[in-house]
Amino acid sequence: MIFDVAQRSLRSESVLISVDMLLCNAQGGRMPAVEAPRLNRTIAERVVACCPTSALALETVGSHQLTLNYGQCIGCGRCIEVGDGAFVPTEKFTRCGVTKAGLVHRWDVDSHAEILTDEPAMTAAGEGIRALLGQALNVREVDAGSCNGCEQEIVALNTPYYDLERFGIHFVASPKHADMLLVTGPVTRNMAEAVKLTYAATPSPKLVVAVGACGCSGGIFSGSHAIAGAVDSVIPVDGYIPGCPPTPAMLLTGILRVLRQHVGNRHPSH
Amino acid sequence: MTRLSTEQRPESGVSDAFALLSGSNNRLVSLFGSLDEDGTRRVHYMVDVENREYRLLSTVVTGPIPSATRVSPAATWYERELHDQYGVEIEGHPDLRPLLLHENWPDGVHPMVDDTSHVPWAQRQYPFLRVQGEGVCEVPVGPVHAGIIEPGHFRFSVVGDTVLHLELRHFYTHKGTEKLFQGTPVGNGPMVAESVSGDNCFAHAVAYCQAVENALGISVPPRGEAIRLVGLELERMLAHIADVGALCGDVGFTVPAVYNSRIKESLLQASARLLGTRFWKGVAVPGGVQRDLSADNARELREAVSFAARDFAEMAEIILDTPSVQNRFESTGILSADIVREMAVVGPVARASGITFDVRRDHPYGRYREIPLEVPHFHYGDVLARARIRIEETRISARLIEETLDAMPAGAIGSPFPAENAGEGFSAVESPRGELLYWVRLRQGHIARCHIKSPSFQNWPALPLAMPGNIIADFPLINKSFNLSYSGCDR
Repeated sequence: MIFDVAQRSLRSESVLISVDMLLCNAQGGRMPAVEAPRLNRTIAERVVACCPTSALALETVGSHQLTLNYGQCIGCGRCIEVGDGAFVPTEKFTRCGVTKAGLVHRWDVDSHAEILTDEPAMTAAGEGIRALLGQALNVREVDAGSCNGCEQEIVALNTPYYDLERFGIHFVASPKHADMLLVTGPVTRNMAEAVKLTYAATPSPKLVVAVGACGCSGGIFSGSHAIAGAVDSVIPVDGYIPGCPPTPAMLLTGILRVLRQHVGNRHPSH
Repeated sequence: MTRLSTEQRPESGVSDAFALLSGSNNRLVSLFGSLDEDGTRRVHYMVDVENREYRLLSTVVTGPIPSATRVSPAATWYERELHDQYGVEIEGHPDLRPLLLHENWPDGVHPMVDDTSHVPWAQRQYPFLRVQGEGVCEVPVGPVHAGIIEPGHFRFSVVGDTVLHLELRHFYTHKGTEKLFQGTPVGNGPMVAESVSGDNCFAHAVAYCQAVENALGISVPPRGEAIRLVGLELERMLAHIADVGALCGDVGFTVPAVYNSRIKESLLQASARLLGTRFWKGVAVPGGVQRDLSADNARELREAVSFAARDFAEMAEIILDTPSVQNRFESTGILSADIVREMAVVGPVARASGITFDVRRDHPYGRYREIPLEVPHFHYGDVLARARIRIEETRISARLIEETLDAMPAGAIGSPFPAENAGEGFSAVESPRGELLYWVRLRQGHIARCHIKSPSFQNWPALPLAMPGNIIADFPLINKSFNLSYSGCDR
């Protein structure tokens, strides 16, 4: 039997996705992108009105500014439906593993221009990654109240398509073995204490990444009486990976980006 | 649409419900509360009468009500939830400790009836059951577990390696979802439903949509129903393939574990490519679906499904033929048919113990009304039976998808639904984990109340009953063979 398995396994073709194909790949992740030239005030008002999680907002700061907080976006596609071509589904999503400010996109609606932040896009090429890691990275996944959607995508990172181990990234069983905590879900009241204890049990230097719309902002569960809040309302967070859920490729991109931001300085503030 | 008969006679609701529940062919489906605009609290008992009719009995609550747990043990968690959420006093319940609300929640605040805008943090005590005797040790596990899984707490009382008793403590992922539904526009409901249990998100969305359609008397066009069937069966395939792989992982048989994860990922990528969504989120809407499959895409999806099913069947044969797998799976974690009946266990877990209930066949909905369904079952109730039932069901799901995609009805994929609407409705679907039920009350285009009966909430209390006599090292395997959702249970 074992021989059958080995034979079968050797017979199957490799499905490994190359690093360049992986980075920022958001296929099936339902994240919207904005075609700034097509943006106008009518569309902006329409999309803001139909956004179920208030990820979209229109402000008047001299001109009319539309903001899209990806940390709150659950990818429902309403803005794409009513956005008249100004909102489109995207298969490349760069804002993975960014700071909280980096989650927010901003456009001047009147001049159709994006107001750029200084958050650099993740474009690391394949060869840079080994240098970035230098050594193995041990990740402890913590479900702080997730619906288990993010867990499915994190588990998928270990499939032969993504093979996270090729980068030296391992999931470990204990926070005591971890360099990084990957925290999903809106932190429920019932998990808040366990999340704090897990953070305390992780040796410094350590990195914390908030995963998914819920981890970044509370997502669709914002305002529930049973929720303590987003991950950063309970423990310090170094990077954010939005999405509902983020695709495995977005997760990988985010983990690498957080590492790059903090390379050589694995715990800046705590 | 699901047949639903409603009887609302305030005086006799409880006694009628108890009389129904004591019928040997009747099964408790759900038990939940609601609050009228004038502050009247009601309790609803949903009973499956002889596997052919869902019956809802309701009663107004003015004081303590007698416990249904004495009539049907399956009511135990429902009544604890009712006590937490609505503050309903239940007389004669054997265990009314808080269920959803943990130590941090103050006494006397009942989320479904009280204002919850500023709930202070409290520090209550939670008494665990004590198992005492010579050589008895207690092993607490969780809520944070060793793998990439959801949080929950298990407290084992063991003698040596042998488990005497297992106590569950869950609801760490309780997100107040049923209250969150209240006030949500009907059209946004699927987004909340999809976030109840991520790995069954499409089943939740469809169950919600069907409940709304039932409430408003909307029918779904045949093409919309066909696409829903494809999504529901594909979700079942994903869950079952992943479960069988994870069971192999738990006995150290890594190659099939990894190979099955690869098959699952190939199907997720097919959905991403052909529908733009890996998990079919955003597809189901009240009235139908909002994404269509072109003829080319349907053909490609069919090919991906057929290939995955063949691949999985070959792998499954190897798995079942492997002596080390047989050794670990066989006679491990036996759940008897009696317990299944008493605890009203549903889904593959029930079918692995010889109880053949399946919503798709017994209370057919959508496209299932038109097709005959093969419902496999096994009698042994062990890990092996729960693995084999999933292997069989994967094969059947693949065939249903193929047959549906081969004969896709033409026409619209959705029906319009009125923006201003009111009514009450109910629907059940057979999710990968079993009977999943939504009951909704709609007012002025918004959800006034939404109750979710999740198969995990129903099945979790049965898991500890499969443990005594097994060794603690087999727990991960037994737990995986049930594969219950924590978030789906905790809501």
